[in-house]
Amino acid sequence: MATEQQPDVPFREPSRIERLQETLAENGISKAVIYGVLGFFLLWTLFPVYWLVSGALKSRQTLLSFPPAWIPTEFQVSNFVQLFAQRPEFYQYVFNSIVVTVVTTIIATTIGAAAAYGFVTFDFPYNLDFHLPFYILSTRFMPPIVTIIPLFVIFRNLQLVNTLYGLICVYVMFNIPFAVWMMKGFFEEVPASLVESAMLDGHTHIGAFFKIVLPLVKPGLLASAIFTTIITWNELLFAIILTQDVAAMTLPVGLSSFVTKYSVQWINVSVAGTIALVPVLLFAFIARQELVRGFSMGAVGK
Amino acid sequence: MATETGTDVRSTADLDEQLGAEQSTRERVLLWVDERLKWLMTLPAVFLLFALTFYPLLRAIRMSTQQYLPGGRTTYVGIENYVNLLNNGAFLESLVVTGKFIGLAVGLEFVLGFGIALVLNKKIKMRGLWQTLILVPMILSPTVIGLIWRLMYTPDGLLDFMAAPFIGRNVGWISDPDVALYAVVATDVWQWTPLVVLVIFAGLQSVPDDIQEAAIMDGAPRWRRFVDIVFPYLKSLIVLVLIIRVVDALRVFAKVYILTRGGPSNATNVISMEMYRTAFRFSNFGQASAMAISLLVVVLILAMSFVKIADIEF
Repeated sequence: MATEQQPDVPFREPSRIERLQETLAENGISKAVIYGVLGFFLLWTLFPVYWLVSGALKSRQTLLSFPPAWIPTEFQVSNFVQLFAQRPEFYQYVFNSIVVTVVTTIIATTIGAAAAYGFVTFDFPYNLDFHLPFYILSTRFMPPIVTIIPLFVIFRNLQLVNTLYGLICVYVMFNIPFAVWMMKGFFEEVPASLVESAMLDGHTHIGAFFKIVLPLVKPGLLASAIFTTIITWNELLFAIILTQDVAAMTLPVGLSSFVTKYSVQWINVSVAGTIALVPVLLFAFIARQELVRGFSMGAVGK
Repeated sequence: MATETGTDVRSTADLDEQLGAEQSTRERVLLWVDERLKWLMTLPAVFLLFALTFYPLLRAIRMSTQQYLPGGRTTYVGIENYVNLLNNGAFLESLVVTGKFIGLAVGLEFVLGFGIALVLNKKIKMRGLWQTLILVPMILSPTVIGLIWRLMYTPDGLLDFMAAPFIGRNVGWISDPDVALYAVVATDVWQWTPLVVLVIFAGLQSVPDDIQEAAIMDGAPRWRRFVDIVFPYLKSLIVLVLIIRVVDALRVFAKVYILTRGGPSNATNVISMEMYRTAFRFSNFGQASAMAISLLVVVLILAMSFVKIADIEF
C-alpha cells in the first residue's frame, strides 16, 4: 500500500483531486457498495412511513392481510370521511392542535428571538449575558417529566388543567431554549456596524432592530418557528397529563386514545396518523437544513 | 431604583430640549423602549423560564418531602420518599430497563450511524435529497412512530411476515416480555440513527482535504489516517451526539406509551413511564417527585460532563 503511493516518476504531477480520488479508489469501497448502503438505508428509513400512509388508503381486510399487500390496489378515500364521521371529536383534536401550535410558535419565537438578540447585543452586569443563556440552554436537558409533576399541581390550583392556555404556557417554556439557541447563531452573524450606522442616521435602536436586523435574520426566524411548530405539534407527554377531555386534547392525545387495550382501529389510526404527519413533512421540507442544526444543537454548522 | 428612574427622566428631558420638544408620542414611546431595551428583550424569556422550570423545580423538591393523602392533604415526611425508592422494586427495575434501553438504543444508533456515515463519506450524487429524506423519522411525532411500528408489530402483521422464514410466525414483538424491549429499541434506532449519520457525515466532510492529502503523501495507511487525523477532528462531535442521544433517550415516553404502556410485565417500564404511573395513576406525587429529583441529579451530572468534554461555548 504505502510504496504504491509514492509518486514515482509520473508523466505529470497528478492534480490534488486526482490523487485523492486515486487513494479513495484504492481504499476499496466501490460505488456499488456506497449506493447500495444508501439505498438500503433510505428504504429502511422511508418504508415505515409509506406503510402508514398506504394503510390509510387500504380497506380493513387488506390492511391486515397475510401476506401483506405491499401496494394498495384500491384507494379508499372514504376512510378519511369515515374517520370524521365515526369520531366527530377528531375535528376538535385537530382544532386544538392548530390553536396550541400556532399560538405557541408565535409567542416562543417572539420571546426567544428578542432574548437572543438582547444577549448577543448588550453587555450585562455580572456576566449575565453568559450565565442567563447558559441557564436557558441547560433547561433543554431537563427531562420534561421532572417539571410536569409540580406543574400539574400548580396548574390544578390555578385551574389551568384541561385548558389550551395551560398547554400553551408549558409549550412556550419548552420551546424557548430552542428558539434562543437557534436565533443566537443568526444574530451573531449580523454585523453590529449595521445597527450602529442606522442609529447614527437617526433610527432608534428598536427601530433599527425592526427595519434592519429582523429582515436579515428572516430565514432564522422561519427556521426556529418551524422547529417550534414541529416539536409542539408532536408533543404527547405534557398534553396527556394536562388535558382531560375533548375540550383541550390535542392530536397526539387523540391518536393515543385510538389504541386501547383490547382492539386497535387500524384504519382510523392510519388515517389520523397520516393527517398528523402531513403538515410536519411540509414544514420540514422548507427548513430542512436548519432542522439538522436544531436537532443536533448546532453540531452541524452552516 | 429611585435614582435609576431619575436618570431616565433627566435623559428624556435632555433629548426633549435637543429636539425642541417636538417629539410625537410615538417617538417618546420608542425612546422609552430604547433606554430599557436590554431588559425588555431578555427578561420575558428569563422570567418565563424561571416561572415554568425553576419554580416547579423548587416545588418538586418540596413535594418530594411530602406524602400525599387522599383528599389533597399532605404531611411532611422528610427523606422517607427517597429511602422508599431504595426498596421500590418497580422503580429499581425501571432504572435497569432504562439503562438497557439507553445502552442498546444509543449504542446501535451510534455504531450504525457512524458506519453508514463512513461508507457515504464520498462525493455522492443528490446529497441534499437523501439528507432531506432521512430527516423524516426525526420530525415525526413519537406518537405516530409508535403507531406505525405497532401496526407493523401486530400479530400476523408485516414483521411477522418478514420474520416467518427465519423464526416462524407470531413472534409476539410487543407482547413477549423477552422481546418487547428490543422492539421499542428498534423504533428508537429507526428514528435517531439518521441524526448520527447526518452529524458524523457533516463532520467527516469537514475534515480539511490538505491534512488528509499530506498524510496520504507521507504514505500513512488508511487506519492511521483515521486514528490520527479524522478521529481527533470528530471527537467533540461524537461526544456531543452521544450526550444528546443519551439525554433524550433518558426521557423516552411516547413510544413506550403507545407501543406497550410499560408492559408486558414491566419489561419496557422505563423511568418516565414509572414516574407517570406513580404520579398520575396512583396519585403518589411525593414518591414520584423523589424519583424526579433523583433523575434530575443524574441528568445534571450527564449535562455537566457534556459541557466539559465537548467544550461547548454559549
